[in-house]
Amino acid sequence: MDWLFLAEVSLAGLGAGALYALTGVAFVLIYKATRVVNLAIGEILMLGGYAFFGFAAGAGLPVWAAIPLTILVGALAGAVIERALIRPMLGESPISVFMVTVGLGSILVGLVELGFGADPLRLPEFLPNDPIFLGEAYLAPKVAYGFAAASVLIAIALAALRFSRAGVALRATAGDQGAAYSVGIDVGRVFSLAWVAACATAAGAGIVVGAIGGISPTMGVFGLSVLVVVIVGGLDSVAGALVGGLLIGLIEALAGAFLGGEFKLLATFGLLVLILMVRPYGLFGTHEIERL
Amino acid sequence: MRIGTLKLSYAADEALLDTPVQWLWLAALAAALVLLPFVAGPYWVYLACLVAINVASATGLNILTGYTGLVSLGQAAFMGVGAYTVAVLEIRLGTPFALNLLAGGIVTALVGVIVGIPSLRVKGLYLAIATIAASMILHFVFAHWSLTGETRGLSLPPATIFGRALDEPRELYWVIVPVTALLVLGAANLFRTRVGRAFIAIRDRDISAEVLGIPLLRTKLTSFALSSFYAGIAGGLWAYFFRVVTPESFPLITSIFYLAAIIVGGMGTILGGILGAAFMTLVPEVLKLFVGLVAPFVSDALSLLAPIRTIVFGLLIVGFLIFEPQGLAEIWRRIRRFFHLWPFRT
Amino acid sequence: MTHTWTRRGLAGIIAAGLALGAIEAGAQSNEDIVLGGSIPLTGVFAFAGVGIHAGIQDYLKIVNDGGGIKGRKIKYVAEDTAYKVDASVAAFNKITGQEKVSLYYGDSTGFAKTINPELDRRGSMLMAGASFASELNDPKKFPLQFMAGPDYTEMVGILMRYIAKEKPGSRIALVYSDTEFGRDPIGPGEKLATDLGLKVVEKIVTPPGSVDVSTEVLKLRRANPDFTIFHGYVLAPIPEFIQQAKQMGMKSQFMGTFWSMDNSMVQRLGENAEGFMGVMPYRYYYDTEKAPMLEKIRQMRPEYQSTAYIQGFVTAMLMTEAVKRTLDAGKELNGANLKASLNTIKDFDTGGIFGVPISIPGNSVPVGRIYRYDGKQKQMVPASDWIRLGA
Repeated sequence: MDWLFLAEVSLAGLGAGALYALTGVAFVLIYKATRVVNLAIGEILMLGGYAFFGFAAGAGLPVWAAIPLTILVGALAGAVIERALIRPMLGESPISVFMVTVGLGSILVGLVELGFGADPLRLPEFLPNDPIFLGEAYLAPKVAYGFAAASVLIAIALAALRFSRAGVALRATAGDQGAAYSVGIDVGRVFSLAWVAACATAAGAGIVVGAIGGISPTMGVFGLSVLVVVIVGGLDSVAGALVGGLLIGLIEALAGAFLGGEFKLLATFGLLVLILMVRPYGLFGTHEIERL
Repeated sequence: MRIGTLKLSYAADEALLDTPVQWLWLAALAAALVLLPFVAGPYWVYLACLVAINVASATGLNILTGYTGLVSLGQAAFMGVGAYTVAVLEIRLGTPFALNLLAGGIVTALVGVIVGIPSLRVKGLYLAIATIAASMILHFVFAHWSLTGETRGLSLPPATIFGRALDEPRELYWVIVPVTALLVLGAANLFRTRVGRAFIAIRDRDISAEVLGIPLLRTKLTSFALSSFYAGIAGGLWAYFFRVVTPESFPLITSIFYLAAIIVGGMGTILGGILGAAFMTLVPEVLKLFVGLVAPFVSDALSLLAPIRTIVFGLLIVGFLIFEPQGLAEIWRRIRRFFHLWPFRT
Repeated sequence: MTHTWTRRGLAGIIAAGLALGAIEAGAQSNEDIVLGGSIPLTGVFAFAGVGIHAGIQDYLKIVNDGGGIKGRKIKYVAEDTAYKVDASVAAFNKITGQEKVSLYYGDSTGFAKTINPELDRRGSMLMAGASFASELNDPKKFPLQFMAGPDYTEMVGILMRYIAKEKPGSRIALVYSDTEFGRDPIGPGEKLATDLGLKVVEKIVTPPGSVDVSTEVLKLRRANPDFTIFHGYVLAPIPEFIQQAKQMGMKSQFMGTFWSMDNSMVQRLGENAEGFMGVMPYRYYYDTEKAPMLEKIRQMRPEYQSTAYIQGFVTAMLMTEAVKRTLDAGKELNGANLKASLNTIKDFDTGGIFGVPISIPGNSVPVGRIYRYDGKQKQMVPASDWIRLGA
């Protein structure tokens, strides 16, 4: 057994896992507030990657300007999507809303292809390029910085959820919509806010994911792995998204290293099936009780 | 104008066709279907076959999702199982094609039952996601099993009937369309039976259905089996139609396509499955015609087609869900009612 | 509602279909020779498709401006396929349903395999395409198919022959995508490596496209190969591979096959492009050696054209040559005659696009040479002589 190799692979896996966790948090944010399973999260992430490409490579803006602008684009997209597509579906069956987000994903892919073409593109290099060694273990710098960026963003999101007024309102709405209404929380605004925050987060994640692997209209498949992450963690649990993200990242890396690249998705989805059979509501999710 | 139909018995009430006019229309349709290969160009016959295959598969999904309320995003993978079964039988054993088709349906039904097992514990979105997982795993099997030809897939000889090779859409049409018609008829009749009504009861409220004495797991698995059987037959037809089966032939997006087809057509109606599948198959063709028309005036018009198709696909799903959740079947019903009640109410 | 009116709806749709079909029929010219094409103008292979599309059009323009073949013009009818087999088949059915097609350009290996039985049945056309799949390079199984270059196994063979000559006994890693395209030359390539005294120390499979390849690079580093051959990609994830490998201080030489060898693609590797090598059967657009055809291309299109463009151009040229030889012999234009004429091509000068005179004894043109990227000139420059296989 080559322990150094194992360590390196695990580090790379955790790095990738942090991005899953970040996107997973965005996903959970939406689910908690609005009970919408947003399958378009991967496409919003892609939109973020392309927006950054447009600002940094297309318009030639410096990176420090392009990043906030990208996040702004994500936030705007969130607001528009919530208003135009999600609000009219209020009260419809969860499946219908889910399918709306599937359709939305398709629209976003088409728009991006129309604007940028279908070829994979590379983001301009903006992360430092020196290799990082933890002891003897090599860590790709992009992965390391991606991990750091994801951790910071997650910390901000958690803090906002915990301490800010909006965060409290959001948690209250998640707990009980009716009660939240009656204490004067504007539930409609909470819905918008959740989408804005989640899409901004996803767009931010898109920059990092794009920096690591390049961008293409098909990079939305990242969302499929995120779906597994949140199912494993529990749809409505932020902690679950964090643990699930790191876990899936690790499993994919180990499967890729020891079994071969083609086993990555198989391992992920195998785990998903296992979880669904054993703990259908995820590691940390709330088990909903059905009444007649 | 017609205000209603008088029915004297339950049998009459349950009948699929209740007026002579409907028989007339049905006869007209049958005549049109028979005449089509003689009058239409090869491309339109090809499209008709494709529509028929999609109708078969969408109707199968409709049984599961529209009538039983179990959302599946695995229909394409199930079709893959059917297609591979047919291909393997045809290549390895050379058994007659009708038998292969049937075997394709049965094998797929078995796989469907296995995939349906989680439906006991999870439902709704969780189940949809479980079916995504199943289709990913099936895809992996297709791409890495030597029996299924790994990534290169399988090429199969044309279907033969009485020593005659059916290697042209115009000939296969006579297999595909009747098989689809049978499947659709079967589905329409299914909901006049106890099992079919049990499906609907489960869709409407599964706990209540259980209280009424419907065995949940068995009924749900039956629904999975039936739906997969349809997918398997459709996949088998697909295999004979394209004569090559590769892992890339049945991607997740195709499953989404079928789900979209029954949403657009109208979930839980037989007409919806047919209209939806036909509509979703033909929309890209209409777009193609349109792009062909503007091509002389717009540079690169050809390369705009695919993104526009993707966008239109998404817009159709979103648009129908928001503005016409009952789908095309409901629009059709409104049109019919308009003519029934005309001129007294419009 | 009752489920009765079902069929009425379908009838309406079919009636509409019939009407459209009637409009589409007509407009057929017996004079023109038709080259049909299922071209991936969008989707994952769009980069290649756009180039191919332009290349075919340009060559046919040259032919038609010069009066065509025996006064007959060649008409090009193409449809976009988004690199999906079913869309390609649909395009094929549509185009062949509307025109009398003698030549066809198909996009993927899957499509070529699907359509070949149909080609044999119709017997009316000759097909080539963007696929250099080894499987297609079998005149017995695919009698009406050819490819304007070496097949993938031959490409890898050319690379390995070069390696065996430069550094005998080298350690080789193969990195390929988990697709039919990617897996194509791996088995035979491994065997060839052993025959040439090379060691295949690692085989890495990745999904195609933009993905995180950190763990795969770690694996590559453990294997420590002298040469790393990428196959089954257009660009992504090759840049990430090379970048991370270089960060880790790996000294491996990176190589690619035809579809990852376009100059503008390699340029996108940035500073990591330096020294990237690969096999290419054609000369590049900017090549200044004596090449009248490249001269002509540069006149038609002053800006750089991709290797995919050249591929489309030269494919059209070989197809046209087959038509010309068939008509010259006074034979009927059908698949078998076209292929037979194509196989009579011997020591044929492609106007300098292939660097040497070529022959097409079977389904492929097993010629190529190694190019290496020169960061100063920002160009792929020749690194070897032309290598002919089986000669």
